[in-house]
Amino acid sequence: MSTVPAVSIQNLTRVFRLPTLRRESVTAVDDISFDIAPGQIYGLIGPNGSGKSTTMKVLLGLLRATKGKCAIFGRDSARVDSREEVGFLPENPYFYRHLTGRETLAFYGKLCGIRGAPLKERTAELLALVELEHAADRRLSSYSKGMLQRIGLAQAIIHRPRLVVLDEPTAGVDPGGSRKIRDLILALRTQGITVILSSHLLEQVQEVCDRVGIIYKGKLVREGLLSDLMSIEDQTEILLRNATPEVLAAVRALIAGQQTTELLHLGNPRTTLERLFLDVTGGSAADAREYVK
Amino acid sequence: MATATPDNSPPGPYPRHRRFSLPRVLTLAGGTFTQLVRMKVFYFMALFAVAVIAASFAFADLQTDGQLKLLKDVSLASMSLFSMLFAIAGTALLIPRDIEDRTLYTILCKPVPRLEYLLGKLLGVAFLIFISLILMDVLFSAVLYLKEKSIIAEQINILQNRKFASRELLEANIAAVSDAVTGQGLTWNLQNGVIAIFLKAIVLTGVTLLVSTFASSTIFTIMTSLAIMVIGQAQSIARDVLLGEDASAVPRLIAGGISLLFPDFKGFDIVDAVVTGSAVPALVMAKMAGLTIVYLVIHLMAAYVIFSDKEL
Repeated sequence: MSTVPAVSIQNLTRVFRLPTLRRESVTAVDDISFDIAPGQIYGLIGPNGSGKSTTMKVLLGLLRATKGKCAIFGRDSARVDSREEVGFLPENPYFYRHLTGRETLAFYGKLCGIRGAPLKERTAELLALVELEHAADRRLSSYSKGMLQRIGLAQAIIHRPRLVVLDEPTAGVDPGGSRKIRDLILALRTQGITVILSSHLLEQVQEVCDRVGIIYKGKLVREGLLSDLMSIEDQTEILLRNATPEVLAAVRALIAGQQTTELLHLGNPRTTLERLFLDVTGGSAADAREYVK
Repeated sequence: MATATPDNSPPGPYPRHRRFSLPRVLTLAGGTFTQLVRMKVFYFMALFAVAVIAASFAFADLQTDGQLKLLKDVSLASMSLFSMLFAIAGTALLIPRDIEDRTLYTILCKPVPRLEYLLGKLLGVAFLIFISLILMDVLFSAVLYLKEKSIIAEQINILQNRKFASRELLEANIAAVSDAVTGQGLTWNLQNGVIAIFLKAIVLTGVTLLVSTFASSTIFTIMTSLAIMVIGQAQSIARDVLLGEDASAVPRLIAGGISLLFPDFKGFDIVDAVVTGSAVPALVMAKMAGLTIVYLVIHLMAAYVIFSDKEL
């Protein structure tokens, strides 16, 4: 496997000059550095205005870095040719609403140099992957929010990029649609595709990401493997199935006898609200079509 | 940190990136054309059809050449108006809307150089103007041809009801009237007027594209482009009045520079000559084509310089 990181961001700083007479400026991203290994799903999280989108835009060549460098598989991300490695789904994308789903994929495919039979095959394959075959020949103006996000994801991967950047891919999407997009992201991982996921839905980030970077006020305040960041080192979790009251009493008694150990919680584990919603509403497998306008 | 040596293994089974790709430009142009067509811009054609047909019936009491001149005048003026409307409104809608809808992000995040994006937009609008002018030209030519034939038939009828000394004299009169009417009717020279309208609209498209690269809204782009169009129409008159014939080299140089930024549309004004039936020399047409290319290159390059630095 290649030793070159999928993404390498080194000392990235981005300053915006404000259109005021005093020549004020705002530092949106302040000396950020991190690498993403190929095949990882990387979560970029932070509050609004923290610098996530600016970082992604510099990585995608839409903005210039004031200082520092970004590289995609070793190629300077400011170069146009680095973008043949990247697929991008922006937040709330509109695309060309006068095009049908199939035409949209064909349009983006042609921009990537795919034509003829391979384009036709790839378009059909992606429409099946994002479960939009039934709406392939409808204009995007009639698509629901979830459908737009899925066609957006399909266009992002039309040219089989090795890196996919997703900015709030489930913003405004209902739990069923959101789950579908999550499944698609996990499917990308199985194909060895690197994913950068920016999201406010921390639960979703926690569910799919291998590694996470937390940006706050333009600085990368925490960065690392999710499992390392999430573990609380001075606490231990024991999960029992079918434990009788006697067993639980024995456990309590054993812990009570230890001077340095404290029992913090004993009770039933909880499901997530998302899982509960999906269980109650019949799961996510066949609910996309009912959200069609 | 890992070494920065590029990993050049191909991303997929598709062709690698090329610095310039005509198929990519044509894809963008096709997308632009489809976008404008599906915005139902061709509905304007109905207005043109009404104008041409109304002009063909209007002022039937005018002299025969007057009727044909009026039809040509109204039709070519309508073609000019609609093509300029397509050029300004069509182009002004494109880039600001792509930015607003974030569609531009998804395009420029593919391996698409910004120059190709601009070229694609320009060609798309140019193709729309070309097709709409062809449709208008076909309708105009058909109506003019029918009008010409009906006037000739009417004139022959009048002449046949008059008394002439001999049949030869009648035929000579019929031939003279037919020639006079045909000279004011459908001729290849008229197509030069349509070509001039097309070239003028293309120059205006280039100007509007340039404005839209730095404009913050569609309405600003439209207003600025309209202003440039008016300046372009009037600048030759202003130049003649302000500079006169004995102006020194410096003011003339400044005026020349202004005419590069604000196209001088006087060079495209051959429609009046075409309507009166004056033949347009090939040299004038070649000069117009050359001027169009020069303006397009200047405006496209200026647009590229601004757009390549534009932060999205």
